[in-house]
Amino acid sequence: MLEYLYDGTFAGLLTAIFHAFRRKEYPDVILRPQGQRLLFATTHTVETDDVMAQRVLNGIERYGGKTTCEQLLHAFLSQSDNVEILILQYARELFFQKRPIMADLGNSFVLQIHKLDRRVLREVQRVLMFIRFERSADGIYFAPFAPKYDVLPLAVGHFKHRFADQQWAIYDTLRDYGFHYHGKRVEQITINAPAFSRDSGKLSVEMEHENEDDYREMWREYFRSIAISERLNPTLQRNFMPKRFWKYLTEKRI
Amino acid sequence: MNLQEKIRILAAAAKYDVSCSSSGSDRANQPGGIGSAAKAGICHSFADDGRCISLLKILYSNHCIYDCAYCVNRRSNDIQRTTFTVKELVDLTIGFYRRNYIEGLFLSSGVINNPDFTMERLVRVARELRQIHRFNGYIHLKTIPGASSRLVKEAALYADRLSVNIEIPSEGNLKMLAPEKDYPSVLSPMSLIKEGIVQYKEERRIYRHTPLFAPAGQSTQLIIGATPDSDRQILSLAGNLYATQNLKRVYYSGYNPTNLYDSRLPAITAPPLKRENRLYQSDWLMRFYHFSVDEIVNDAHPDLDLSVDPKLSYALRNPHIFPIDVNSADHHMLLRIPGVGPKSAKMILAARRFRKLNSHHLRKIGVVMKRAQYFITCHELPTATIQELQPERVRSMLTMDLRKQSLPNAHQLSLW
Ligand code: SF4
Repeated sequence: MLEYLYDGTFAGLLTAIFHAFRRKEYPDVILRPQGQRLLFATTHTVETDDVMAQRVLNGIERYGGKTTCEQLLHAFLSQSDNVEILILQYARELFFQKRPIMADLGNSFVLQIHKLDRRVLREVQRVLMFIRFERSADGIYFAPFAPKYDVLPLAVGHFKHRFADQQWAIYDTLRDYGFHYHGKRVEQITINAPAFSRDSGKLSVEMEHENEDDYREMWREYFRSIAISERLNPTLQRNFMPKRFWKYLTEKRI
Repeated sequence: MNLQEKIRILAAAAKYDVSCSSSGSDRANQPGGIGSAAKAGICHSFADDGRCISLLKILYSNHCIYDCAYCVNRRSNDIQRTTFTVKELVDLTIGFYRRNYIEGLFLSSGVINNPDFTMERLVRVARELRQIHRFNGYIHLKTIPGASSRLVKEAALYADRLSVNIEIPSEGNLKMLAPEKDYPSVLSPMSLIKEGIVQYKEERRIYRHTPLFAPAGQSTQLIIGATPDSDRQILSLAGNLYATQNLKRVYYSGYNPTNLYDSRLPAITAPPLKRENRLYQSDWLMRFYHFSVDEIVNDAHPDLDLSVDPKLSYALRNPHIFPIDVNSADHHMLLRIPGVGPKSAKMILAARRFRKLNSHHLRKIGVVMKRAQYFITCHELPTATIQELQPERVRSMLTMDLRKQSLPNAHQLSLW
């Protein structure tokens, strides 16, 4: 058995793929730092190398186009078990066929990548849907969020475009980092002493803009009034808006 | 009355309008402005009835000079009435938008004083949003029946989408329930908008800076079950509107018993949700599956079969076109297979260029094999299809299966 260890980044994985090609070997697993180690395996540790990573990425782009690169990145972000091996298989097949294989859905690892890509994109979509900003006393619109995958970077462009004339910050409370837009550029941030509740996302009262509570209550009123009581359907509501999002939703949190 | 009270009353009064779509426009953010429209639309929440909340859907006022029997806002109904100011609505829209609660505004109203007076207010809200606040989010305005063409045209300059609700699927029944209305007053603004859109598209080809004119088109709504109109009548009307008025959407709203004492209306206690769902499915067949109205309902079958979806119903009535070979059939035929949707049809077309597909592949692609199995052949040993089993057997096997799964009532689901 052969195991590769890498640092858990996408560049690290691409480096690992480079190693596998150069060494003409086929690892059984490619493990993130927190991954489950194999017993009695030969271990090869991969040192992330941007040049090697870039060369693999260029190759993928040459044969599969930009869309394939994006698809593989999204699949990677799913952190699904063994996604590394899937991506390695995909890259080998792509380099062998020298043409896009995205549509070969009868091929099981192509189909699996396709599905993981979709799963991650759905989570991006949910960031766009379910982010709720609260206005702070100093005028910044703040939104904490806890996406299942590390997708905030994929969603930031949408908000930058849409809310170009307001200062905002979106924070991933699970991975403890976020983005702040201050009118020109978006910058990555980490917050040391949060002024918001990790349970509800609510800003502390003294941090809140004075009429924030009015907007919150008006939105909750709207949410209550727009439902048709003869048609209550909590199952459908939960299918579309899973419970895990509720804690940061103005209209749903308690 | 405080603002929150107004929201309570005027949102509740707007809830029976089912349209909430924010799709079809991709207005970009202008420098210094706020917002953008996303081409596919975004739902921001789901109400307790499971329906998508994308827009702030609300009435400007629930006062009304008319007395349409099927409407909660009718003059003779004893309810609490209120009216927003233009500023209140503009501020509310911007405030909600900045917090990412909504994609924009869907504004409608009861008729205050006269149609033009009301329409002018709606237009003013849209104009202030666009011109003073440089708001680039989505705006859907309802045109008030009887409003002058000048105001309708002005509305189209600011709104992404306009709608003119027909409400009652046949003119005779409309006149019975809404004596002050008739079809010409509804259809003429619709034609006006359609012509405006056509003209705009032509000019746009020549002058890039032609001002936008309802870029997301127009839609309408039909109330289902308030009158004895058949599904055939409803779907023919819808098909006609898609063909002649270029409507983007026809919405079907199961009649909610909002008027319990009027003998012109049926005595029902719950809205006809199943029928509404079947109508949406039929509408999808017309828009995305290349079905004609006649293939769905016709003289022999004027009403939809409530026990199976309209596509399966079509397949059971037309066994001679099956089984369909998934490895060779064209797109049009693939779409007729129960259990195959537009997405899986596309995936089949792409994937079969690489290899012949068998049932395992089809299942992985997302084909619902439970249904499709009776209607296809693929690259493997033959199974019993509708030809060997006969339509009645297939129907009973499939409806037994179906009973286990509960039917969703929301139309924004992918339906097969
Ligand atoms: S005109 Fe419109 S708001 Fe007024 S009663 Fe008729 S349907 Fe209702």
